[in-house]
Amino acid sequence: MNTSLRRDRQDLLRAGLGHALNLGLPLLFVVIPILSFVVVSFWTLQDGQILLIPTLANYRAFFTEGSYLPVYLQTVGLSLQVTLVNVALSTAIALFIFRRTPRMRFLILMSFMLPLFMSYIIKVYSIRSILGQRGLLNEAMLGLGLIDQPIEALLFSRTAIFIALAVLYLPYAILPIYLALDRIPANYLAASADLGATPMQTLRAVVLPLGRPGIAAGAVFTFILTFGDFVTPQMVGGTQGFTFGRIVFSQFGLALNWPLGSALAVILLATTLLAVALAGLSLRREHVR
Amino acid sequence: MQPLLHLNNVSKRYGAVRVLDGIDITVADNEFLTILGPSGSGKTTILRIIGGFEGIDGGSLMFEGRDLSAVPINRRPFNTVFQDYALFHHMTVAENVGYGLKVRGRPKAEIAARVAEVLDTVGLGTLGGRYPAQMSGGQRQRVALARAIICEPRLILLDEPLSALDVELRAQMQRFLKSLQRRLGIAFVFITHDQEEAIALSDRIIVVNRGRIEQEGAPEELYRRPRTPFTASFLGDNNLIPGTLAAIDGRLCTVDTAAGRLDATVDGPAPAPGSAVLVAVRPEHVRLDADPAAPHGMSAEVADVRFLGANVMIELFNPALPGAVIKVRRLADGSVAGLRPGASVRLGWAADDAALLQVAP
Ligand SMILES: Nc1ncnc2c1ncn2[C@@H]1O[C@H](COP(=O)(O)OP(=O)(O)O)[C@@H](O)[C@H]1O
Ligand SMILES: [Mg+2]
Repeated sequence: MNTSLRRDRQDLLRAGLGHALNLGLPLLFVVIPILSFVVVSFWTLQDGQILLIPTLANYRAFFTEGSYLPVYLQTVGLSLQVTLVNVALSTAIALFIFRRTPRMRFLILMSFMLPLFMSYIIKVYSIRSILGQRGLLNEAMLGLGLIDQPIEALLFSRTAIFIALAVLYLPYAILPIYLALDRIPANYLAASADLGATPMQTLRAVVLPLGRPGIAAGAVFTFILTFGDFVTPQMVGGTQGFTFGRIVFSQFGLALNWPLGSALAVILLATTLLAVALAGLSLRREHVR
Repeated sequence: MQPLLHLNNVSKRYGAVRVLDGIDITVADNEFLTILGPSGSGKTTILRIIGGFEGIDGGSLMFEGRDLSAVPINRRPFNTVFQDYALFHHMTVAENVGYGLKVRGRPKAEIAARVAEVLDTVGLGTLGGRYPAQMSGGQRQRVALARAIICEPRLILLDEPLSALDVELRAQMQRFLKSLQRRLGIAFVFITHDQEEAIALSDRIIVVNRGRIEQEGAPEELYRRPRTPFTASFLGDNNLIPGTLAAIDGRLCTVDTAAGRLDATVDGPAPAPGSAVLVAVRPEHVRLDADPAAPHGMSAEVADVRFLGANVMIELFNPALPGAVIKVRRLADGSVAGLRPGASVRLGWAADDAALLQVAP
């Protein structure tokens, strides 16, 4: 009686500790840092001094002042474009890998994942060296006689940013899509064909619907990573590369306007969360086995 | 009459391993055919070849006289019930069942009507809106069946469909499968490693072992008259007693064994006198009280008497057959009440109940 009571209490304690960790760790590492800049975004900047006076001015500035809103919208557009192209490309690549023999699958997947093991700087510089005035692409086109003069606009243009972002974040979309396809039981494909479906019908009715969680995850990853990137646009876009990420970054650096920077960061975060929520919504009908 | 399906001398290898070695199978219209064999004997491979999931390395596969080798999976007039059912978990039961009609481009109203009809047939009338995950094993089984029969194939392939079910459900599904097959008039090619299931369901059984066909025939014929040691021991219990063929008179054979002269009968071509043979006799066919003066038979000593409810299983031995346990099954009535270990008895049987088996040289 007594011992069982004690055991109950111990179990309760252990369960309580478990819950405390489940809630506490995300709180400590995620919620508190985020809350801190949410708080800062409501403070006032006056003569270079941060005053603890609550204000909505920083948010008002986003909508009314300067080019914040246009740049924001342009960046959303750019990120959506990159996401669209990358998801289409990655789905095709993942399907290609999926159709190989198990051994080949691993090799091909790994070769696509290789860039993940390389430093960011190396990747960006190699993209620059391909797109640059005396870069691989220009030299190749010159050699083939397609152009008489190197095209300057290859680098330091919106197209350059677009290509660089797409190339840089492709593995992040391929991986979740491939993993989702990989979980489709081989028997489903056999059963679909057995019931009379052509390969195209199997793709539409079985493969793509079951790959959807991976496609959604790949889309979210690509969108979030592109939208928040402030280094790539600068390095390959030059003056053209004024994306929202760079504006946020500059508030904390050159402009030294932490409250405005925080407000813009909150908007960036909200956009990201919206992307996650939309992806989640599109998966609501998904049924677990 | 032309068979519905004909596998002619089919061989299949995976790398260097020969999995099927010159298999001949015919399937007749409306037939319940069972392919019976131990795990790894090549049963699934046979089914996958018929379904079109595997190619063949030799022989031919004909459907109503047409060669099927160039016909892709989705054009073969067969449907498969997979071992793990392979129900699409992202589709409702009704969507699963209607899939075959949908990919054929049938109108929605027709599909809905047919799905309702077929779900009724398998006893799942009202469950079309559920997902497979919301159903029990037996129900999923029925969904898989419904999905396979909706396109009215000429032949259904079933790969150990009952192996995942518990004993009671299994017996129930066996009865259901048999009655469904009779009602639909579709040929079933059914795979199992369970000999009792095969005997209970089939019109005809093909016994496979190591990628070869051992024997085929009606269940009763296979059970009563096995022709190979493998068939004799795989279908039910059998006592196999080694010896040499002494004399043969029509079907009737006399076999010399270390324990004495024994009677048996042979089907088909008989081996030459002097060759090594086995006498196969079922435990339920052995008499314990044979006439000691009878010319043939053997004496034995009771080693153990096990009570099994309706039956008793009596285990005996003969010192001339070291290591061999002779099993005798009797009704648990007064006739065996006095039997104790150590008792000496005389064993005998009707020659028609003992099959002569050739031993591969
Ligand atoms: N894809 C494969 N690759 C190599 N060996 C296989 C393959 N499929 C089956 N086998 C082998 O072929 C033999 C027969 O297999 P299978 O037809 O599945 O037997 P069963 O269904 O009677 O258990 C087994 O020895 C198995 O290991
Ligand atoms: Mg099998």
